[in-house]
Amino acid sequence: MEIKLRNLKRNYGSLHAVDNVSLDIPSNTVYGIIGRSGAGKSTLVRLISMLEAPDQGEVYYDDKRVDNLSKKELIEERRKIGMIFQTFNLFSSRNATENIAYPMEICHMDKTYIKQRTEELLALVGLEGRGSAAISTLSGGQKQRVAIARALAIKPSILFCDEATSALDPQTTRAILALIKEIQKKMNLTVVMITHQMEVVRDACDRVAVLDSGHIVEEGDVRDIFSSPKSDVTKDFLSSLTNVHESLVRWSDKGGHYTLRFRGSSTDEPIISSASAATGAIFNIRAAGVQTVNGEEMGIMITDIGPDEQTAEKTVMYLREKGVGVEESKKEAE
Amino acid sequence: MDAFLDARMWTLVAESTWQTVVMVFLSTIFSMILGLPIGVLLHVTSSEEQGGILPHPVFYNVLSRIVNILRSFPFIILMIVLMPLSRLIIGTSIGTMATVIPLSIAAAPFVARVIESSLKEVDPGVVQAAKAMGSTNWQIIIKVLIPEALPALVSGVTLTIINLIGYSAMAGAIGGGGLGDLAIRYGYQRFSPAYMVCAVVVIILMVEIIQFIGDKISARLIAKR
Repeated sequence: MEIKLRNLKRNYGSLHAVDNVSLDIPSNTVYGIIGRSGAGKSTLVRLISMLEAPDQGEVYYDDKRVDNLSKKELIEERRKIGMIFQTFNLFSSRNATENIAYPMEICHMDKTYIKQRTEELLALVGLEGRGSAAISTLSGGQKQRVAIARALAIKPSILFCDEATSALDPQTTRAILALIKEIQKKMNLTVVMITHQMEVVRDACDRVAVLDSGHIVEEGDVRDIFSSPKSDVTKDFLSSLTNVHESLVRWSDKGGHYTLRFRGSSTDEPIISSASAATGAIFNIRAAGVQTVNGEEMGIMITDIGPDEQTAEKTVMYLREKGVGVEESKKEAE
Repeated sequence: MDAFLDARMWTLVAESTWQTVVMVFLSTIFSMILGLPIGVLLHVTSSEEQGGILPHPVFYNVLSRIVNILRSFPFIILMIVLMPLSRLIIGTSIGTMATVIPLSIAAAPFVARVIESSLKEVDPGVVQAAKAMGSTNWQIIIKVLIPEALPALVSGVTLTIINLIGYSAMAGAIGGGGLGDLAIRYGYQRFSPAYMVCAVVVIILMVEIIQFIGDKISARLIAKR
């Protein structure tokens, strides 16, 4: 299901938690919404998932407007979406199977169907035979698996993940993300993933929107965003991910300071050597790293280019021709 | 003579104990019937920060005030005030059955607060999840709030029963029967310390037993989670 947001606004007192947000979340994708704490992510997800009504603006699921529904319609519509949370939010009074059965129970589904469906779901999330386990006996990863099974019980067309991996260790995070991606493909889901972790976006999302103080500052294909970030917030998220950060670099006094971003096949070529040979440039590499984003290699390098400005300019042109993203860094100390 | 007195005393103690048990049992049930919906209403209409799913400040404040007023009434006064009500419903204002009505009404606001505070302890995230899945408010109350709060609710009921044992002893002072009545009429007015001691010991035993059972059930519920 496609989700459209139009000029969403939500204020708490004088705080503009969500300020004029418009987004198109295409059907059948994993869509990331990333932002620092306090950027308005939680409010935004509550607005998109019909848990809260916006002060202004509209939310559409396909072409159905869902932000102004009556109480009864709202309950109907909520029964078509799934949601998982950072704190899992499982019922401690119910075991795993009973947790998964809950959304079907409240829709008054047939008991034998519920039984068969919970078995199916336990198998889907890799928890066969653990159905009768009390929630407190499960590990964090297992709890999130139960939560995923519960969210999928009613065969939703949208799955909201509100910081779903933030309470998990890196290994479990990867396993859960892999599971979500697998299920997304299997069930043709639209997954909306709210997070503050860039690695979640890198490892799981197809598209991403970057949220900062209630605004969308950047939006697009994850690979595009990683190879040519535009806003400072995005760059900040990216450098914290690779640990290649300008503020950590000690610049030399001579030569311009540049951030180079390589993408795809350009990470395999000896571009720096060939540039050096072509223009006579001297590179002084300060920091560099490579990572895989959505199946594509992405490299980042922070370097001085010398020996003089003319050579540097020529080299930048050469690099851009080769498809390398080049940004000149400002010297902060001056 | 002494032997005769002893036999008579034990019969009286046994009778009074049974009366207290009946009084406490019935008034626990009736005070739950009255207090549970009030407690649920209080929680549900409380502010969103308190976990209310249908916040209604005016309704909450009015109900909360009424509960507070009833709770601050000295029990003995409440009993006297409610005597006509007992007469209306039971036909008499004296005796074990007649005492059940003021006891139930006196304990109901206490029960309401106990229920309210137990429900407040339920993880708001869990309620949010239930809401996001499309639960009706009724389903949230019945299928989420009450089962999630069950261990705390059991502790609350235990507390209520123990309170009612105390109240029922006081009810004896105005002709309610039971162990309190025995202690006052025989122990105090007729200067027979044996009766007094017996009555008090039985009351202590009852409290201990109820507390023990309540703790066990509550612990059992928690262990299963």
